[in-house]
Amino acid sequence: MKKTIWYLMMLIAMLVLTACSGESASAPKDAGDAKGESSVNDETFTFATTSDVVGLSPILTNDSMSANAIEHVYDTLFQRNPETKEIEPKLAESFENIDELTWVIKLREGIKFHDGTPFNAEAVKYTFDKLRDPATAAPRASLLEPVDEITVVDENTVEIKTKYPYGPFLAALSHSNASIVSPTADQAQDLMKNPVGTGPFKFVSWTPGDQVELEANEEYWGGAPALKHVAFKVVPEVSTAISMLQAGEVQFIDNLPPEQLARLEAMENIKIEKTDGTPVYYLTFNHSRELNQDPEFRQAVAAAIDRDAFVSKLNGLGVRSNSIVGPQVFGFDESADKAGTAYDLEAAKALVEKNGYGDKPFKLLTANRSNFILMAEIVQAQLTEAGFNVQIESLEWATFLDTARSGEYDLTFLSWSNVTGDGSEMLYPNFHSDNAGNSNRAQYKNAEFDQLVVESRTTIDQKERAVILDKANKFMIEDNAAIAMYHGIVTAAMDKKYSGLELDPNGKWNLRNVTGE
Amino acid sequence: MTNAVLSTDERVPIVKKKEKVYVTTFKRLVKNKLAVAGLVIILLQIGMAIFAPLIVTHDPIKQNLIASELPMFSEGHWLGTDNYGRDVWARIVYGARISLLVGITAVSLGLIGGVTLGLLGGYYKKLDGIIMRIVDLLFSFPGILLAMLIIAILGTSLINVAIAISIWSIPTCARIVRGSVLSIKQKEYIMAMKSLGASDLRIMIRHILPNAFAPIIVFATMRMATAILSTASLSYLGLGAQPPTPEWGAMIATGQNYMWTSPHLTIIPGIAIMLTVFAFNVVGDGLRDALDPNMDIQ
Amino acid sequence: MVALIVRRGIQLVFLLLGISFLVFSSMYIAPGDPAAMVGGPTATESDLEAIRDNLGLNDPFLVQYGNYLKHAMQGDFGYSYQTKQAVSDAIAIRFPNTFKLAIASMIVAVVIGLFAGLISALKHNSWLDVTSTTFALAGISIPNFWLGTLLILVFAVNLQWLPVGGLSEPFYTIDGIKQLILPAITLGTGSAAMIARMARSSMLEVIKADYVRTARAKGVKEHNVIWIHTLKNAMIPVITVIGLNFGFLLGGTIITEKVFAINGVGRLMIDAIAMRDFPMVQGSVLLVATLFVVVNLIVDIIYTFVDPRISYD
Repeated sequence: MKKTIWYLMMLIAMLVLTACSGESASAPKDAGDAKGESSVNDETFTFATTSDVVGLSPILTNDSMSANAIEHVYDTLFQRNPETKEIEPKLAESFENIDELTWVIKLREGIKFHDGTPFNAEAVKYTFDKLRDPATAAPRASLLEPVDEITVVDENTVEIKTKYPYGPFLAALSHSNASIVSPTADQAQDLMKNPVGTGPFKFVSWTPGDQVELEANEEYWGGAPALKHVAFKVVPEVSTAISMLQAGEVQFIDNLPPEQLARLEAMENIKIEKTDGTPVYYLTFNHSRELNQDPEFRQAVAAAIDRDAFVSKLNGLGVRSNSIVGPQVFGFDESADKAGTAYDLEAAKALVEKNGYGDKPFKLLTANRSNFILMAEIVQAQLTEAGFNVQIESLEWATFLDTARSGEYDLTFLSWSNVTGDGSEMLYPNFHSDNAGNSNRAQYKNAEFDQLVVESRTTIDQKERAVILDKANKFMIEDNAAIAMYHGIVTAAMDKKYSGLELDPNGKWNLRNVTGE
Repeated sequence: MTNAVLSTDERVPIVKKKEKVYVTTFKRLVKNKLAVAGLVIILLQIGMAIFAPLIVTHDPIKQNLIASELPMFSEGHWLGTDNYGRDVWARIVYGARISLLVGITAVSLGLIGGVTLGLLGGYYKKLDGIIMRIVDLLFSFPGILLAMLIIAILGTSLINVAIAISIWSIPTCARIVRGSVLSIKQKEYIMAMKSLGASDLRIMIRHILPNAFAPIIVFATMRMATAILSTASLSYLGLGAQPPTPEWGAMIATGQNYMWTSPHLTIIPGIAIMLTVFAFNVVGDGLRDALDPNMDIQ
Repeated sequence: MVALIVRRGIQLVFLLLGISFLVFSSMYIAPGDPAAMVGGPTATESDLEAIRDNLGLNDPFLVQYGNYLKHAMQGDFGYSYQTKQAVSDAIAIRFPNTFKLAIASMIVAVVIGLFAGLISALKHNSWLDVTSTTFALAGISIPNFWLGTLLILVFAVNLQWLPVGGLSEPFYTIDGIKQLILPAITLGTGSAAMIARMARSSMLEVIKADYVRTARAKGVKEHNVIWIHTLKNAMIPVITVIGLNFGFLLGGTIITEKVFAINGVGRLMIDAIAMRDFPMVQGSVLLVATLFVVVNLIVDIIYTFVDPRISYD
């Protein structure tokens, strides 16, 4: 009987507490109080992530979860400075272009992989040759697609020849999938399960589906990190992850959902880090469909979408710009912000009326992830307002990719996180006709645009590249080839006891310099 | 299907007899207070579903981004608005339609499948083995997983959800029907009809099926509850209604993102689901007690 | 009993064959290209073709299925398309968590369910009966993802009595038990409610049965009548519910594991379906089906002990 009553009371209490949780959400108890003398740096610093890593080899993976871990275990030759946006040497010391096709890269000396193997020109050649070897079937082999030959000049110098002048080459080398691996380790073991790099953290263990554990690399060439133990833990529900952060069970999460921002801001034990980022979210037409080839139709759609109203729903976690190449991406010019078709409901209504666009229903395809659904619901309502007849079709991720790739849709939302932060890395895979039916899911084919994109890739001079990219960018905006919904703001929330997080505009972060009080 | 086989003159006496059963059952049912409460809730829901346009003042899919996430008892929106500024009350009312439709579709499909398999299995010994193996196979497959596979094949939509859910009620229904068929098949009057040359189909539908009617109706009522709950679970996994359909489970799934700022977005549809599922469960329970003559009613 | 086990064993083999075929063919027809999931967004058509070749996805359907069966017979359940990990290893890591969760929620279900059922039956038609029946029914009616989130909100975030998620500590430690409580309640509530209803009605039946009346008449103490006679007989339907519910429970773990960040087989399954990781889907579904059959076999064996009238020979 007591149990029944207890059970009853529990349920009532639950409902009541839920109802007034608005006020009580900000009352975290400090879990780490009683630790006394031992520094928080010795405790495990846990990052919660929504899905597991696929593997830990930079050569064989191509997903952001794996990249998070890989960037802590390995290093790349170059990196883009988050502030200046310039590419800087990392494992490299300097580089030199002998001619448009030849890159001579000088490497830092005295660096060792975690297994003791020396880092040298041999290791670079080994890694890159493996990455581009068709037999490896590396998912990001395309990073080194222009490479013709790699030669070891001496212990610390490597010379790379490309097949054609390749402008974004250094950007490609700063991609986490171009990290350098230990050749001895790669031959002895499976790096997917047992990675060995030169990075600030050493691999300890990986329990698939649960967590990856790392420890500080005391001999790191850039100085040993303060955190001694780091774990990347899988927590599939964002709400759960935030609750764990509040309860002190995890110390760090990234990619904060806009709808939970208010909750996070009310939590006293964490601080939120934000920086304008490179990811872009856009609405695109399936250009292989007849209706979408009508420029007036595309214009009507663009005019019907009130992107300001949409961005206001992101609680400050989105930047509004008409430009497809984002404000944080190389090749952006401020004048692109207002380029293209502006929101004008009356104009849209007039076009719909005139051409009878509302007569035929069309399909707005979306992946069933929350930010995509948000765009879809709002855009569908706005298009309906303008007189279009739109039906949302939301699909799970795998089916969505397949459907978009094969072009079985009218309109869809796509996103591109742009790891290298270079405009060519956005326009070439997503809109160049070479890639139509593959990564160019919009099936966009335009000879004039293609020409500009190719130029942006084969020009070495970076100033010239910026001008060409701006031209290409504006060309497609004015053509209403795609409609930029928003540019991402990169976010993370970390336990207040820690500081020193490096948050990159491409959404990556590094714990190298994080330290506890 | 039933009507096609019956000629009017044969039907009359049976219907009369049935009515009597219905009356006594109903009388017993209304003595059960919980069941009455359940019946009222179900009737209210049906009323909401039918008269939805008359009950609400807002369009359930009309957005108003400026007036979003209004709390309960706001002016013009007594249950507040969701993150798109849509009226929660309107969505709940229209959602009643969807829950009922999906539930009824899923249960009917499941009954058709289950009754057919059960009748065939119970009646024809030769088919029994293979049919029961199919039933076992469906049984040992976790329902939600089966539904996920089916939706992976057919795509995400409410109709496919109904199909997926219906399949997982087939095995239980088949077993119930088969049991009653087996118990009645050997009765003398059935044997007599057989020797008089009545067709198998006729015997099954006219004489065997009506005897399995009581457990089927109880099962169907309970299944409505399960179906509504399962629809919600699938929507939670992102495999249910297409937006902007006002489906209760989908409302909870989206509302959970706003749980800490606007808890009513989760709690209201949650209560709606709970009440409906509860109602079908108590009515099912009550019906079972009322239909079972061995159970004394106080 | 040996005959029963042998017969069920043979049935199991055919059942698994049927299930594997069902899963294999449904994954085969389902849209969504596993190669595209492996290759990522930048893979070209030739990359995808290479991946498909590598995974054997270009073979005709029956050849693929035949190969799978051939390997499975030798105990090789293939390798994940995504992580290249052996399916058996991947499941071995996760199974203990699911198992712990299932057992814990069964304990919750049986304890709460029997208790509530018992009270209802003994105090038949009292307010206690009505209350506990109402709550039993409410228990079945709560969507478990909803209950899970509410429990986290109250007990982990606001009161901070219990951890939010994870199941990493060994179950025999205090921390391990604490981690199990909320997920076990979330998952067990539905089953508890079902057991309560079954227990109530079967006990009511037994209480009215002649032998209990006789026992009472003979002056056996009320207490003993209830406990020995009633409870023992009421166990039969309860055991049935446990057997049947085990499948339901394994299905429920899918959502519970997701809400509570538990690294279990249920989550492995949904992730595998979403990523079109066919060998992983196969492996985990076969495991779940086998478990279901084995649990029901055990239930049937227990029947013969609890109730000597039942025989399977």
